[in-house]
Amino acid sequence: MITFSLNGLTVQTDVPSDTPLLWVVRDVFKLKGSKFGCGAGLCGACTMHVDGAAVRTCILPVADVAGHDVTTIEGLGSKDDPHPLQRAWVDHSVPQCGYCQSGQLMSAAALLEKNPLPSDADIADGMRGNICRCGTYGRIRQAIRSTVENGGVK
Amino acid sequence: MTVAAKSSRYRISRRQALKLFAVTSGGLIVAAPLSACSVTAAPHPLSKASGVTESALLQITPSNEVNFYLPRAEMGQGVFMGLTTLIAEELEVGPDSIAVHHASVHDAYNKPGSSLQYTGGSTSLSAHFIQLRQVAADMREAIRQAAAGDLDVPVESLVMQDGQVRDGDKAYPYGRFADTASRRAMPENTALKSASDFTVIGHDRPRLDAWDKVTGQAGFGLDVDFPGLYRAALVRCPATGGKVKTVNMDKAAAVQGVFKIVPIFNGVAVVAEQQWQAKQAAQLLEIEWDMPDLAKLSSPELRRTMERAMADDDGQNAHSAGDGADALRRADKVLEATYWAPYLAHATMEPMNCTARIHDGRCEIWVGSQMPDGALGMAAHHSGLSRDKVTVHSTYLGGGFGRRLSSDFVAEAVAIARASGVAVQLVWSREEDIQYDRYRPVSLVRMRAGLDRDGRIDSWTAKRVGPNVAAHFADDNLETIAPEFVPWSWSEWASKRSYWLFESLIINPASVHGLFGDYDIANQDVRHVTVDPGLPIGYWRSVGHSFNAFFAESFIDELADAAKQDPLAFRLAHNGHDLRMQRVLRTAAQEAGWDKARPGRFQGIAAHNSFETAVAHVVELSLVDGAVKVNKVTCAVDCGTAVNPDIVRAQMESGIIYGMTAALFGEITVDQGAVVQSNFHDYEMIRMDQAPEIAVTIMPSTAPPTGVGEPGLPPLAPALGNAIFAATGKRIRELPLAKQIEFV
Repeated sequence: MITFSLNGLTVQTDVPSDTPLLWVVRDVFKLKGSKFGCGAGLCGACTMHVDGAAVRTCILPVADVAGHDVTTIEGLGSKDDPHPLQRAWVDHSVPQCGYCQSGQLMSAAALLEKNPLPSDADIADGMRGNICRCGTYGRIRQAIRSTVENGGVK
Repeated sequence: MTVAAKSSRYRISRRQALKLFAVTSGGLIVAAPLSACSVTAAPHPLSKASGVTESALLQITPSNEVNFYLPRAEMGQGVFMGLTTLIAEELEVGPDSIAVHHASVHDAYNKPGSSLQYTGGSTSLSAHFIQLRQVAADMREAIRQAAAGDLDVPVESLVMQDGQVRDGDKAYPYGRFADTASRRAMPENTALKSASDFTVIGHDRPRLDAWDKVTGQAGFGLDVDFPGLYRAALVRCPATGGKVKTVNMDKAAAVQGVFKIVPIFNGVAVVAEQQWQAKQAAQLLEIEWDMPDLAKLSSPELRRTMERAMADDDGQNAHSAGDGADALRRADKVLEATYWAPYLAHATMEPMNCTARIHDGRCEIWVGSQMPDGALGMAAHHSGLSRDKVTVHSTYLGGGFGRRLSSDFVAEAVAIARASGVAVQLVWSREEDIQYDRYRPVSLVRMRAGLDRDGRIDSWTAKRVGPNVAAHFADDNLETIAPEFVPWSWSEWASKRSYWLFESLIINPASVHGLFGDYDIANQDVRHVTVDPGLPIGYWRSVGHSFNAFFAESFIDELADAAKQDPLAFRLAHNGHDLRMQRVLRTAAQEAGWDKARPGRFQGIAAHNSFETAVAHVVELSLVDGAVKVNKVTCAVDCGTAVNPDIVRAQMESGIIYGMTAALFGEITVDQGAVVQSNFHDYEMIRMDQAPEIAVTIMPSTAPPTGVGEPGLPPLAPALGNAIFAATGKRIRELPLAKQIEFV
């Protein structure tokens, strides 16, 4: 039995311990906001926070998060109580198909927690692990910049 | 492998098939009949308890809910917002207070002007621009007339505003009159607002689907879940089309959570409680395959075959003007160049997936599809049920780009559900998504043009060698959209005839479009030679324009150079007949500071008409230790009325990045029938660090809207290639560019 914290709630699962966290969160705990994109840690669609750091969960065995804090897009914020980045994403109409955006937001949120005043190079570096096929990179950059200008994520 | 046109090898024996093909499919592929263009379309298949529901598209309930059943698929291109904007404008209701639902399958949702319910060709806004506004205007008028009756006041005294009926200083919600309106005759042909009165169309606001998409609440096909749902993983033949000869399931069956292992038409599926278990077990299947003909195909040999066809085969004429190729003989100077573009995968972020349940004589599927009626036909066939027993639950699409026009993954999911007896969700791995795609076709094109003494283009010829998308699409989908009374085996047989049809009898426009038309040239000859090795191909964002614009707009630059003229001035001197094109070229050049680039910056320009829209790009780049850094793309677009200007900008940005990924990196190669590339490490994408700054100017216009989902893509590759030429003097005629020059 593996126990960890999921969006602030303590959860337990008995799935095989090598099951990637992504599938546990999606299929066992039914939180569907985190997406499957590549299964190889190459696209970032599955990004969650583990103890505040952005992690590719499609290749992270669930056993590795035993005793740790996992946050998903559902834990980042909601329409009624949004994270500043979610608000900025809406203001800039960032999403197109939207499939990669949970991962983009989780990477951006972790970036700003670590580096509240990122340069464009820092943003490019922090976000290059997340692929968007709709080409929303420019808007993501603008949304991150405007979040920083409006007081950041603290 | 076949080399076709006059020298078709193995498909020629099917000549007699043409007649049946034409009979069964004539109106379907090209899809002409006008349908569902009225507000009195057939009754809605979904349950709508009460209120005004005449249109099947729009409902106002007594509790004042406004429900809009979105007839096109939202795949990022913005119809969720765009079509709702049309409704809001005429209904006089704020867009945010309209509940938008993905429509199921019904004739009422066919694309206006088509007998199919597809989303493609950058046509959603243009096709619905009048229809949905008329639906909403008639609905608004129905409420107004009902209110006049209920309130016993003259209709003229009532003002419709913000979802309320205003009578002097009193205001009533629309819903209050919904039941009365539903008992009265629906008004028809209510006058539409003039453009100067628009308050929603042409005005920006955040996308209506944004909140769901930034909070993880948007439901994609992959997110469908319900009690009793099993997960499936399917192992297919490395070369598409191969069949299972033998299979040893012992090791796979022993994996924890595995429920059943079932062979289906194209492979062996593992059905398990969880996704991970199904995938793990599938890797333990030991399968021996009957390899298909495709297994003889490898990319180098295909290239040689295409080059031979280019040299030996005159092909079919696709377009001509004046004296055609004969005019080359009197040219002052003749230029010739041969260009190449490889197969490409779509690589939507959401891999192909479908959820299927067959229960109690009914089949339900949950799928994000660009052709849900095709998905329904496919599900009916593979469930063994008639089409009226099939229900399609539509979802958001995690990217489409043409890939989700086909229903191959629906066929698999339904076949697995039928064979296993349980509800299943089939999710393709990224490797499967890249290796079993319907690819953008490979193309080899030879351009020849003649300049006269004044440096004007007097003659223009092009010959394209490659396979035809329409033939594959028919093979893939004809059975699903043919009338149900036509037996599957007949339409399947007919669909196979499509290869011969497009090789020998008619030109598939998508094979040659974009090779001509943008420039006013007196003498033209465009020809086509079909070479089709059988690797499945399909519609890929902007279709033939995606490669033909690269060929034509690069070659125009070569001609400008040969004529010693500025590339912008040279283009403007040859497209005086096309004012939209002139306008976008001048605007993009002006915004980019054409010819005034800072030291160390180099510019290239290209423009292209596709899907009725004119787009020009100026690419600006610099060299970093000999490697190319793309700094900025300046775009000008004329798409008629911009219903949502910010979505037009977003679609230009999207086409530019998608086109840049293709131009820099995109290449699918084949080894013994199997696709070599497998995931994002060897099928690379543009990422944030390589994404250029993008500036988009939308031409002001009151003309009807034209496409925006695709037209931003075609001019990107040539503008980039032309900028590389400006920077280095090196003319790159083969995609992907990164094989020829390094990018940073």
